[in-house]
Amino acid sequence: MLPAEADVSRWLAAAGASAEVTTSILGVMARIEAARAADVLATLRDGEGRFDMLVDLFAIDTGEGIDLRYHLRALERDEDLYLAAYVDYDGEAPSAWRCYPAVLYAEREAAEMFGMSFVGHPNPKRLLTTDEVQAPLLRKSTPIRTWEETRRD
Amino acid sequence: MTDDRLRVTSEGPIVAEGRREPLLLPRGLRRVPRGVDELATEHLIVNMGPQHPSTHGVLHILLELDGETVMAAEASLGYLHRGIEKLAESRRHHQVGTLLDRADYVSGIHTELAYAMAVERLMEIEVPEKAQWLRTLMAEINRIASHVLFVGTFGMDTGSMPTFLYTMREREALVDILEAVTGSRMMFNYVRPGGVTGDLPGGIIEKLETFLSTVDTYLDEYDVLLTDNEIFGPRTKGVGVIDRTTAIAFGMTGAPLRATGMDWDVRKVRPYAAYAQLDFDVPLGSQGDCFDRYVVKTAEIRQSLEMIRQLIAGVPEGEYTAKVPRVLRPPAGEVYTAVESPRGELGIHLVSDGSDLPYRMRLRSPAYYNLAVVDEALAGGLIADAVVTLGSLDIVLGEIDR
Amino acid sequence: MSPLLVIVLRTLAGLGLLLLNGVVLIYMLRKVLAHLHLRIGPNRVGPWGVFQTSMDVVKLLTKEDFRPATADKWLFRLAPLLIFVPSFMAYLVIGFSPTWHFANLDTGVLFVFAVLSFVPIGIMMAGWASNSKWSLIGGMRAAGQQIAYEVPLLLSVLGVVMLAGSLDLKVIVESQAGLWLGFLPKWFILPQFLGFWLFAIAALAESNQTPFDMSEAESELVTGFANEYSGMRFGFMFLAEFSNLFVSCAVGTTLFFGGWLLPGLEHNAVALALGPIVFMVKVYLGIFCMMWIRGTLPRIRIDQMLSFAWKALIPLSLAWVVIFAVILKAVRA
Repeated sequence: MLPAEADVSRWLAAAGASAEVTTSILGVMARIEAARAADVLATLRDGEGRFDMLVDLFAIDTGEGIDLRYHLRALERDEDLYLAAYVDYDGEAPSAWRCYPAVLYAEREAAEMFGMSFVGHPNPKRLLTTDEVQAPLLRKSTPIRTWEETRRD
Repeated sequence: MTDDRLRVTSEGPIVAEGRREPLLLPRGLRRVPRGVDELATEHLIVNMGPQHPSTHGVLHILLELDGETVMAAEASLGYLHRGIEKLAESRRHHQVGTLLDRADYVSGIHTELAYAMAVERLMEIEVPEKAQWLRTLMAEINRIASHVLFVGTFGMDTGSMPTFLYTMREREALVDILEAVTGSRMMFNYVRPGGVTGDLPGGIIEKLETFLSTVDTYLDEYDVLLTDNEIFGPRTKGVGVIDRTTAIAFGMTGAPLRATGMDWDVRKVRPYAAYAQLDFDVPLGSQGDCFDRYVVKTAEIRQSLEMIRQLIAGVPEGEYTAKVPRVLRPPAGEVYTAVESPRGELGIHLVSDGSDLPYRMRLRSPAYYNLAVVDEALAGGLIADAVVTLGSLDIVLGEIDR
Repeated sequence: MSPLLVIVLRTLAGLGLLLLNGVVLIYMLRKVLAHLHLRIGPNRVGPWGVFQTSMDVVKLLTKEDFRPATADKWLFRLAPLLIFVPSFMAYLVIGFSPTWHFANLDTGVLFVFAVLSFVPIGIMMAGWASNSKWSLIGGMRAAGQQIAYEVPLLLSVLGVVMLAGSLDLKVIVESQAGLWLGFLPKWFILPQFLGFWLFAIAALAESNQTPFDMSEAESELVTGFANEYSGMRFGFMFLAEFSNLFVSCAVGTTLFFGGWLLPGLEHNAVALALGPIVFMVKVYLGIFCMMWIRGTLPRIRIDQMLSFAWKALIPLSLAWVVIFAVILKAVRA
């Protein structure tokens, strides 16, 4: 279920990317540079790792920037790998659609919800919201009723 | 969004002779050249949905048609977007289940279960055996209800109206049982971190046994009406073929992936709840067409019935929930838990910062990734095939749009 | 009575029959489909819901006469008439008994099918004039389908014409009188078994019934060519569909099941009195079978339907005509 950290470092080194690999309750997570994301994914898919499926792509707002998460899976070995990439607010990351077409919708949604863009996406329109919604909804700076306010209604 | 291309629907009315440049295709691969001779045929761009008797939910698909053939398709989503992931950031962990019920409204138990498992993994809560048994039983009943709804709506997509109403008969029996146990026919709010909200009331096992004794004849009826039907076969065989490489590349899971022959079922590969103790098969297809997706689902119904029989045969003793604090504060960290929902692998990626509210909850919805292939799979077929292919993917817009 | 008065009375009688048929058939359809689908159907308006259709007609009459602004004004208004009037005209030649008919045409068979072939024009007109893409697609499908299935419809009837030796519907019915071997009625269904099946399939397709109802495929096109129609315009087309159903079954009964003949009772006063009742019973049994099929089967895709017509039904009907002609010549020689 969990790939060995040494293997992961080796695969990522083959992509020429610097990475710090950690293991936690989530699994094995490798932090890479956002600018190299597309190359790293291509190497992981085509190289030794054979991570043929991208399970999910989403983002987390850390307060200072956007943390992208790529969740990859090697179906034959039943191993999951997470990649974390940091992008500034209104920053850019390369689109991974040529490698995993699964990200076509996920990248549009992440861009729309967090306010960033994926370079090279063939259809970079907003996915889930209408034009009136200008603010990136899932950033912490976009207000929402607090838990106390939901109780007091 | 930091670009100036707006939503598809805000680009003004689409007139048959107005729009000149063709729709963007995701991969630009399926473009079929316009008329070989000098007669230029006009390509119609039609809106299928969002209000439409056959799109399952409020799904809006733009089709570029050359006569009856679909040249290109583009799905326009978001009609059911309610901001569940954002709302979850101001709900305590036992309240998030109410939001997730409404995500995949057909299979609420599975979504709640994924979230409860995520919290339990972070807090290292040990769930008692009785609770796991109850969770599995409810999950399988929910699975049969969802699959049976799929069979009905898929039959209706091909024009067979009676199938829809016959499957509603099965669904009524199951939903009655779910209501008796959880209190609600659809928004269950039953699975909480630590266990479930209550034990089975009296008489449920008997109701289940009555249901199990009659359901096999009904399933045979569906076989006669649909599976063995001479009209249904050509409508679905060879239609909407999605081969294994495409399916894996698009991140598809669930019946569409198993219909291509890939053996991946979260209940078998990464067992959760009480599935490790149950004996069941995972039906696989071979062609990856609509007929295989349909057959895989009907076979899964029978496997679920088998599982329910095994579950009823041995009811464990114990508590229906573990002792958990009233306010749950999972330690800081991230976790990903996945369940096999009727649509595929449903995952919850929970990021906790140690407080009583989730920091970020991501719902990895199977229908979202199953739908992404539609832009490519619909091109080249007829409109009728588009309807059938969409129906065979068994999508629920609630979890796609969240 | 003056001839003009007779004509007017007969027209009114025909209209009355059509409307009454429509009302009864729509109610029958809703009830039959409902019970096939484990439902109940209309049961509130009147005892067992019998007044449902009449009240629906009242509702349709009181609706706003709505025409989409961009719809072609005159074609939009003409299309429902073009769908309705031909099926009304087809009532002309239906014989309910030796003396009960509206007109006695020598070329009854030809007249019926010629007149019914106007309906695809009306449907295509409705689909085009609505200025809506989905209606257009529905209209095109209907046109292609109905034109394709007219050929097997006509070819399958040729065998009956050969057997009877005439195109006159009255002569065809009368040549089915009598019994074979003392108990089998001489209805043309027995020698023309294959012809009957070809006719049945083609008639289903011509009336746009499931499994051939792609042009009104509810789960795809809502109502297909009639999408933009509301109120009594829609009522006309809806009524025309059921009247077409009645006409196809009536023609089928006349050609294959002996029309108003009751086996063993021909040529006496009882037969004359019972004729219309026997005829209507036979026709309604045929309609019930059509509704039964409608409530059970899925829909055939349009290209499969068309290739079935052109590549299977037409060669089969042509072959059947030739083979039957040879057999008939041999038997009668």
